[in-house]
Amino acid sequence: MSLVSAENVKAYYYTSAGSVKAVDGINMNVNRGEILGVVGESGCGKSTLASTLMMNVRPPLRLVEGKISVDKYELTSMKRKEIRSKIWGTLISLVPQSALNALIPIKKTRDIIKDVLKHHLKNLNNEEINNLAKKRFKELDLPIEVLNMYPHELSGGMKQRAVIATSTLLNPKLLIVDEPTSALDVSTQKIVLKMIVDLRIRGIIESVVFITHDIAILRQISDKITVMYAGKIVESSTANEILENPVHPYSKGLINAVITPEREVKRRGLSYISGQPPDLLSPPIGCRFYPRCELAKDLCQKQEPHLTEVRRNHFVACNFVK
Amino acid sequence: MVKEILIGVFRIKKFVVSFSILAGIILMGVVGPIVYAVVPYKIVGPPEARPSETYPLGTDAYGRDLFAQVLNGIRTSIYIGFLSAIVGTAIGVVIGTIAGFKGGLVDDLLMVVTNIMMTLPAMLLMILVAAYIEERNVLYVALIISFTSWGWIARGVRAQIMSLREQQFVFMSRMAGLSDVKIAFADLLPNMASYVFMCFILLASAAMLAEAGLSMIGLGVTSGYSLGTILFWARMKEAVRRGLTWWFIPPGAILVATTTSLLVTATALDEYFSPRLRGS
Amino acid sequence: MMFSLHNLTKVFTVGFFRRRAVKAVNNVSFELDKGEIISLVGESGSGKTTTALMILRLIRPTSGEIFFEDKNIFKLKTGEERKKYWRQVHGIFQDPYAPFNPMYRVDRVLYQVFNLYDKQPSKKEKDQIVKESLSAVGLTPKDILGKYSHQLSGGQRQRIMVARCYILKPKLILADEPVSMIDASTRAGVIKLFMKLCNDLKTSVMFITHDLGLAYYTSNRILIMRRGEIVEEASAESILEHPQHPYTKRLLNDVPLLYSKWKDL
Repeated sequence: MSLVSAENVKAYYYTSAGSVKAVDGINMNVNRGEILGVVGESGCGKSTLASTLMMNVRPPLRLVEGKISVDKYELTSMKRKEIRSKIWGTLISLVPQSALNALIPIKKTRDIIKDVLKHHLKNLNNEEINNLAKKRFKELDLPIEVLNMYPHELSGGMKQRAVIATSTLLNPKLLIVDEPTSALDVSTQKIVLKMIVDLRIRGIIESVVFITHDIAILRQISDKITVMYAGKIVESSTANEILENPVHPYSKGLINAVITPEREVKRRGLSYISGQPPDLLSPPIGCRFYPRCELAKDLCQKQEPHLTEVRRNHFVACNFVK
Repeated sequence: MVKEILIGVFRIKKFVVSFSILAGIILMGVVGPIVYAVVPYKIVGPPEARPSETYPLGTDAYGRDLFAQVLNGIRTSIYIGFLSAIVGTAIGVVIGTIAGFKGGLVDDLLMVVTNIMMTLPAMLLMILVAAYIEERNVLYVALIISFTSWGWIARGVRAQIMSLREQQFVFMSRMAGLSDVKIAFADLLPNMASYVFMCFILLASAAMLAEAGLSMIGLGVTSGYSLGTILFWARMKEAVRRGLTWWFIPPGAILVATTTSLLVTATALDEYFSPRLRGS
Repeated sequence: MMFSLHNLTKVFTVGFFRRRAVKAVNNVSFELDKGEIISLVGESGSGKTTTALMILRLIRPTSGEIFFEDKNIFKLKTGEERKKYWRQVHGIFQDPYAPFNPMYRVDRVLYQVFNLYDKQPSKKEKDQIVKESLSAVGLTPKDILGKYSHQLSGGQRQRIMVARCYILKPKLILADEPVSMIDASTRAGVIKLFMKLCNDLKTSVMFITHDLGLAYYTSNRILIMRRGEIVEEASAESILEHPQHPYTKRLLNDVPLLYSKWKDL
């Protein structure tokens, strides 16, 4: 059952030098109860995708084309004011990159929560909001003392968990997280990942879009994986499929470039992909991976591949795939 | 690199406007007295004459040509402004760099000296020194002003050095065996160039105003004319009360125009350099 | 034994009114032989970078000694001796932006190390050496020389730092998180470069990292550091197969793996 569907979404940044085509024709689908991982490297457009999915689109970013539907709402035809009151926080919540640094340092956690919730729960007074927060924190195994502390008194991991707990207080159906653990050390990372999975198990949220550059994390927690490159989706399938039978040369390269402390990594060796991603100000016609691809042929320079289903529920955008 | 900077900077409207005004004023000061070769302190006409063809800015209460006074005044004021700025900035940069780089006892001692200089009321100090030296030529006035104002530059430079000192490119230079002095000059100072430049400009305009202030109370240059001395005489002869607008307005207006255009030019330059330095 | 640390300790005093003593490095000792590749693994705050800065002679220890070829590196008196040390022991850091002074072209970072040579080569010789070292790290000299750091990518910049080492041909390179700020797809290239450096020049490499994967892949020996102390030291295989210390076990358990799934999530 589909919760989120995005059709041919294009979101560009308009700058004095031209338009940066950060998200350029994305088709995506997130089912209910699913954790979808979006993996790609810096500049591939995944963070822009996060903002666009929840229609947090402000100049210089503009939604150029496409339709986005979440639950029964069609976000692309709603006004920003409506989206702010009906969607954000209640249907979709986004924990952006470096959300840790976005906490106001002069307010205690519970006051920050109050600021966030007052907008939605207008008929509740401060005490009731506090109790709501306490109850949720207890449910998620977060120490209640955190509510009375200032952000600088909390460790990175605790801050991140507090931020995630706050974002999901109103039980949004979709939680989008963008690199939630890249600044955390390995053990704290596991705790935060566990919390996200927990939120879904407890029914506090339904689905998660998890954006990261670290595909090993996605192996551990996601049901589906989508690989992004230069503003486009190059491959998409279940986590197992992508990791065991990657088809697109970029996906293969990305997986073989991962270094984890495992025998298998030493055995298969490390591969790397030479070159740079294309400049999204004027992306090339044809396949964007062409200059770095080992399978490349002349055809690829002229013809842009589209996502085709190569196996059941396994989609790849490559000219060599039928 | 210089060519890129020149082309880029002349594209900014703010810069072009303010720089033109500034350049115009400086030109007036440098070339003016030569072209308009009237001696400013000689009586050339009727006293308190309004501006006319013979006397572009009229005459003062003694019959001296005001336009000549203003032109000479610009020359003196700018000269003092920039001289003070050069000396003051140089002192501030040297002391700030040594203090920031060496740290420890050297830093503490230098900061004590700096703090004392900063807490002494500059105007008072200037007045005292000026009152004791009878013959005050331009050089003396410039030096007096610069000695009382290098303090905050030293502090700012020191802070910048202290933060730059921990940067990795300093580590790289140290590992390449460069001496401390070489690192200070080659690695640190260029990164502070825009800051030091701003300090220079601010000091120049502050110095011009300080000199005008000193001159207005009669403690400025004793030989030659500055914009402040014109105002001094204007005040002595009660030009405001008597409505001799052509006497007291031009010097003040030019002072304001000079300092403002100086500041706006510097701001425009700073704006131009900042994003470039961040490598965008 | 080429390189050895003995009871190295570094205490920082922090705080404004109430000064606290923070023991960043606490009684660390280990050795490194010629041609070895080791990794110092620890999370943020473990003291590994402080240790690296002391080994590079960029900060002084509170107590303890470091010996390089039987000479105490903190007792080097003359500038010449210090230069000689840096000729043989050099560092590469994590942030590929940081080692470049933005006011200068990247060439400077390469040419400045000639200062450490005993005999200065001629300008032509210097140019030749620089070009060769850039090629050795897989960069085209004309794409790199004359540019400013902001015009190059992270991977290119990091390779330039390795090229710098090629010019010096040091006996030991310290690489502090050399690939953590580089995209995954280009990481392997830089890592292979380090291995190449070790093979070609017989240089020893000490990796300082939080990434156990990197440590396992590259090193003969791994040292695990926690809160300023070394809690475990063993061959890379032993650390993976038979971790002893609970902290090591926890690290191995919490790293997200590619070929097996967590059972305790």
